[in-house]
Amino acid sequence: MSKQKTEQNDDKAVKSRRAFLKGAGVASVAAAISVVATDEAEAKSEETQKTSGYRETDHVKAYYEAAKF
Amino acid sequence: MTDIQSLREKIKSNDAGDATGVAEEDLLRANFYGLLTSALLAPPSAEILEIFKGLDGDESPLGMAMSSLGELARTTKPEDIEDEFTRLFYGHGAGGELHPYASFYLTGFIYDKPLAQLREELRGLGLSRSGVTSEPEDHIAFLMNVMHELIVGVQGAAMSLNAQNTFFDKHIAPWAPKFFEDLEMAENAEFFRPVGTIGRVLMEIEHEAFTIAA
Repeated sequence: MSKQKTEQNDDKAVKSRRAFLKGAGVASVAAAISVVATDEAEAKSEETQKTSGYRETDHVKAYYEAAKF
Repeated sequence: MTDIQSLREKIKSNDAGDATGVAEEDLLRANFYGLLTSALLAPPSAEILEIFKGLDGDESPLGMAMSSLGELARTTKPEDIEDEFTRLFYGHGAGGELHPYASFYLTGFIYDKPLAQLREELRGLGLSRSGVTSEPEDHIAFLMNVMHELIVGVQGAAMSLNAQNTFFDKHIAPWAPKFFEDLEMAENAEFFRPVGTIGRVLMEIEHEAFTIAA
């Protein structure tokens, strides 16, 4: 199969996957839970400055801190 | 403005700059993983409960579970939610009703071989525990967080769909659907019942979507 053809097929798969995900209701609640993502992003940029070498799972840390665990 | 445009704007405004290039449907998937992480890591804080109170959804199974979680967040006392979390996951002496660990589900023991294999893989991915909690890495919330990381990336290093699929098939698919089902059916679950449903349905959607893309 030529490279171009493979790319076309990939593109088709991406589109079907996108359509499937939206149809499955993943998009329906976007607005509400995007709030969670915003919080994470804030925690992340703060954490990023401290991290070197090993990447930490910053959100886990942020959530534990938020939960005062 | 069309729905898609407004959705794009929304995603753009939530983007801290390092998720650039991540498709919108993938950001939405990441949001669900983030939601599950925040619900299952520890008793949800007041801040997280505030977010849950705003949840709503459409008539899809996922949407209905989201509505239900929003409704419960609005009507359940925070201390009752914390008690429920304790009964479900910590217990009193003898452990909680559920053990949210891959190792437990796969071998019947915690801290067993599946955890060791996972740790090795996480080293390869450059992900490690933050050290704030003593929960092992195969805790459901940690794994949901790893998926979130693989989708949006830390420091801009999102992984390919193929890499996400590999991790999902190896460390999540063999047991997480069963765990979420158990959470839905748990004797002590009220507030956390829709969390179980969201997890179970998301696992089904993810499995299907990875199959389409493969």
